[in-house]
Amino acid sequence: MNGSRLLRGDGREKVTGQARYAADLQLAGLLHARFLYSEHPHARIRSISTEQARSMPGVHAVITQDDVPDVRYGMFVKDRTLFARDVVRFEAEVVAAVAASTPEQAEAACRAIEVDYEPLEPTLDAEAALAPEAPLVHAEWESYGTQQGVARDGNDCGLMTSVKGDADRGFAEADRIFEDRFEADMSHPVPIEPHAILAQWQGEKVTIWSSTQTPYPARSGVAETLQIPESHVRIVVPHLGGGFGGKCDFHFEAHVAALAKAAGRPVKLVLSRREEFLATDKVRHPMTIELRTGVREDGTITARGARIVMDSGAYVGDALFAAEIGLMMVQGPYRIPNLAAETHTVYTNRTPAGSVRAPGGPQVCWAVEQHSDRIARELGLDPIEFRRRNLVSDGDTGQTGQVLEGVSARECLDRAVEIARPERELEPGEGIGIACGWWFTLPVPSGAYLKLNADGSATIITGAQENGSGSVMALPLLAAQELGMTPDDFNILYQDTDAGPWDLGSAGSQTTANNGRAVVAAAREVRQQLLRLAADELEVDPADLELADGGVQVAGVPSRRVAIKELAAKAQGGELLLGRGSGTPPSLPPHDLSGCVGRLGYSAFGAPSFFAVAARVQVDDETGVVRVLEITAVHDFGTVLNPLGAQGQVEGGVVHAIGMALLEGTRYEGGRQANPHLLDYKLQTAADSPPINVEFIDAPARNGGGPGGLKAVGEPPIVAPVGAIANAITAATGTSVQQLPMTPARVWAALREERG
Amino acid sequence: MRVAAPTTIDGVLTEITANGAEPIAGGTDLVVGVRAGKRKLPEALVAIHGVEELRQLEQRADGGLRIGATVSHETLYESPLIREGWSAIADGSALVGSAATRSTGTIGGNVANASPAMDTGAPLAVLDAEVVVRGAAGERRIPIAEVFLGPGRSAVEPNELLVAVELPPSAAGAASSYVRLEYRQAMEIAVVGAAAWVRLADGGEHIAEARIALSAVAPTIVRAEAAERLLDGSGCDFAALQRAAEVAAEAANPIGDNRASAEYRLALVPVIVRRALEAAVTRASGGEVAVPASRGYQRREGA
Repeated sequence: MNGSRLLRGDGREKVTGQARYAADLQLAGLLHARFLYSEHPHARIRSISTEQARSMPGVHAVITQDDVPDVRYGMFVKDRTLFARDVVRFEAEVVAAVAASTPEQAEAACRAIEVDYEPLEPTLDAEAALAPEAPLVHAEWESYGTQQGVARDGNDCGLMTSVKGDADRGFAEADRIFEDRFEADMSHPVPIEPHAILAQWQGEKVTIWSSTQTPYPARSGVAETLQIPESHVRIVVPHLGGGFGGKCDFHFEAHVAALAKAAGRPVKLVLSRREEFLATDKVRHPMTIELRTGVREDGTITARGARIVMDSGAYVGDALFAAEIGLMMVQGPYRIPNLAAETHTVYTNRTPAGSVRAPGGPQVCWAVEQHSDRIARELGLDPIEFRRRNLVSDGDTGQTGQVLEGVSARECLDRAVEIARPERELEPGEGIGIACGWWFTLPVPSGAYLKLNADGSATIITGAQENGSGSVMALPLLAAQELGMTPDDFNILYQDTDAGPWDLGSAGSQTTANNGRAVVAAAREVRQQLLRLAADELEVDPADLELADGGVQVAGVPSRRVAIKELAAKAQGGELLLGRGSGTPPSLPPHDLSGCVGRLGYSAFGAPSFFAVAARVQVDDETGVVRVLEITAVHDFGTVLNPLGAQGQVEGGVVHAIGMALLEGTRYEGGRQANPHLLDYKLQTAADSPPINVEFIDAPARNGGGPGGLKAVGEPPIVAPVGAIANAITAATGTSVQQLPMTPARVWAALREERG
Repeated sequence: MRVAAPTTIDGVLTEITANGAEPIAGGTDLVVGVRAGKRKLPEALVAIHGVEELRQLEQRADGGLRIGATVSHETLYESPLIREGWSAIADGSALVGSAATRSTGTIGGNVANASPAMDTGAPLAVLDAEVVVRGAAGERRIPIAEVFLGPGRSAVEPNELLVAVELPPSAAGAASSYVRLEYRQAMEIAVVGAAAWVRLADGGEHIAEARIALSAVAPTIVRAEAAERLLDGSGCDFAALQRAAEVAAEAANPIGDNRASAEYRLALVPVIVRRALEAAVTRASGGEVAVPASRGYQRREGA
């Protein structure tokens, strides 16, 4: 059963401009920070002189790596320092930071810092960097600490493999074998709000207002790099203006805190759009994807091989999430008994890559789905029929042997085909393409408190982070169900590490499932308290009571009731109504990693979900310009808690995906981004957005989902449309474009090559 | 910094000549350029939005048109007069930026900024516009062909104010269009653009006279004169227009940049020129081509 269409609590203030974001905040005595970046993609620092900068007007502090603890940090590999130490490894490596009375003074002081560089040859080709004789991006890589399980070798900072059945035997059993190679460029999350951070010390404790998506990991990062206890760090996130993964992990909170400490005044940093492109370590990985598939003449897949090379840039960051998720897309939602795949995550001297909405997903899905269409075409099968013959169903196994149940893959495809069926004959240049995919619901710990106030309202105190997706805004729906109240009865206190329990943050589409579970548990505690109070009041057994319509009543006798408001007011004079919840996160389904190397947390998919997307496009064959005319997206989100919010997530994901498919890509000139600005990094506009048909398949998660069987919503919508658009281009033109984005020039070149 | 906002042209000229002020109207180039670090903020600015005379869009007694320097792209795009008689300007104005930039940005600014990718330049070039500028020494008129000197450089002197753009009357049997290659449908900059003006003769059987101008494929807006000559007296079927369009590419000398390689730009010139010619011929023969002509291309088969 799907839930109710909830208008989100923060919506009005956001659309009327009343919402305050980190960059809007002011503090008494506030200074402004600017960073000095390396400019060189690879160089040795011979010396840094900050003397002149320190004496400039308005300057309160100038700091470098010499002014902070000598600590290497990193989620998977501790390969990075806050400021460059000896070597700069990409063009926007932070070398120094200045705090001054105005941003302009800080900028001027940055320009006055003298750095003597010895430029070094940059490593710019990930494939070449894997060669045994290739120069090392990190000469000291062997000395770096790592998270357990990470497999590395020189520039290969994350080798992972996926092995299932016997691929050699599978290929031997094939009638035909198909091979394809795909290349995807770097793309960016581009949230409308740039990174903004304020830090203010009081005694030994620092409060940091940040635009982070992950307040608790950010807190850990500050504590680790500044060598202070986590309890001395409080992270507060005002409203967040989008993240799309780009604000995951830990960014510049420690830099700003160190500046504020050195200056003895609060300091604020707001990145420019250019810095957003260059300096954050969260771009979508450039990838090459080689696929090899063995099939029988009837279309049955017997084996698949894959080799994926991901350009991680100068540091690993949280890239190995993308590596493992991308690897899990190789089988996708298809029945493949034998599989051998490997992913290399490779250091280069480019902007470090990391989480961007569905990290690793869209690129590999795009490659697999084009590969599928090609196989179908060459076997003389309809691409839809080819998929129907190979899609997983109940009892089939996933890529690491997990047994699938409650599988909706076929239903998603059938509905998408039905909805997308054109009502008229397609115009010349039009084509329809389809793509399927699968995703997961990430089980992680989370927590919440719930208090019932004397006026009958309630407050949810949560560690969860609202990044704009509506996941925190939907929590009152769950609490209201437990307490017989309405969502409007709830306030939410969130995004403050000193208030809420620990949470992973807005990452991995996990909030509603995991924090939802915590909120339900907290609400149940309050519910028990209310039942006891009402039982005394009504002189009945608590077992005979139910909560409904803002009151507690004798089941079946609504006239014998007491309002929650009344009970809450009474509780004020005695034991307060407080609940707490966390709940145990479900474990991953049983799976088999024998023969696999370097696997981390995504080795099986909890509560797997399925989707199918159809795209109708128009290709201008003289110019190569592709317009997306219509998208149909059919998703199994398990039970949908808030259909209005879920629809918005699908629409947003689709538009983001259209941008990835057609225009969003970074051009590199040597070691430098050539288009780090919105003039030439072209997002989709409202005028480019087509009609989007959204449908949900009701398939409650049987294991591993959230309350009521809900599954992850935020990331899946961006995964399949890119491949669907690619297949639509091929359907329209007979030509496939194996570079992403599929820009007009690339489509035009592919058409010319095809037609001679 | 000094900012003045006089209400007369003389007041503006005083600020320019006496204080070295730079004029600002919509600010869509100047402000963005300063923010991007491409230029310095001038020491003195003179805001010209308050000058009534500069805001006028009027038909002159001879049937020609005078467009005041601060007439916005939105006004030009919406004007029935422009759509009817000087359609290429409506086509070009419709494509500028977004609704916000169109209602803020002005034709005078677009001309004076002299970007080779400007969307009103090629239309003005095929419509034989004259640019009216005023300085301390009085008024002078510059033929459009002499206005654009290089990227960001125009023949308007620093001590002059561009006050209007004037267009000759539209001729019987004539029509114009502007088409550009664009990757998305808003907030876009021309990758290749072409304006065409044609005058038909013999009941629409032949082209009596044609003009073609290109944007974004050379350091300035350029006319494609060899292609124009090829069309004099030519038929107006697809093949004839295609032949001329291929010759038009000779006038292009594109650079490669973030938006496109030189090779792609050059290859696209004939496509965009032919489409502009097709739209202009269709309009000149009484057919309907919606503004902007860039969107909803219809191949023109017959004569």
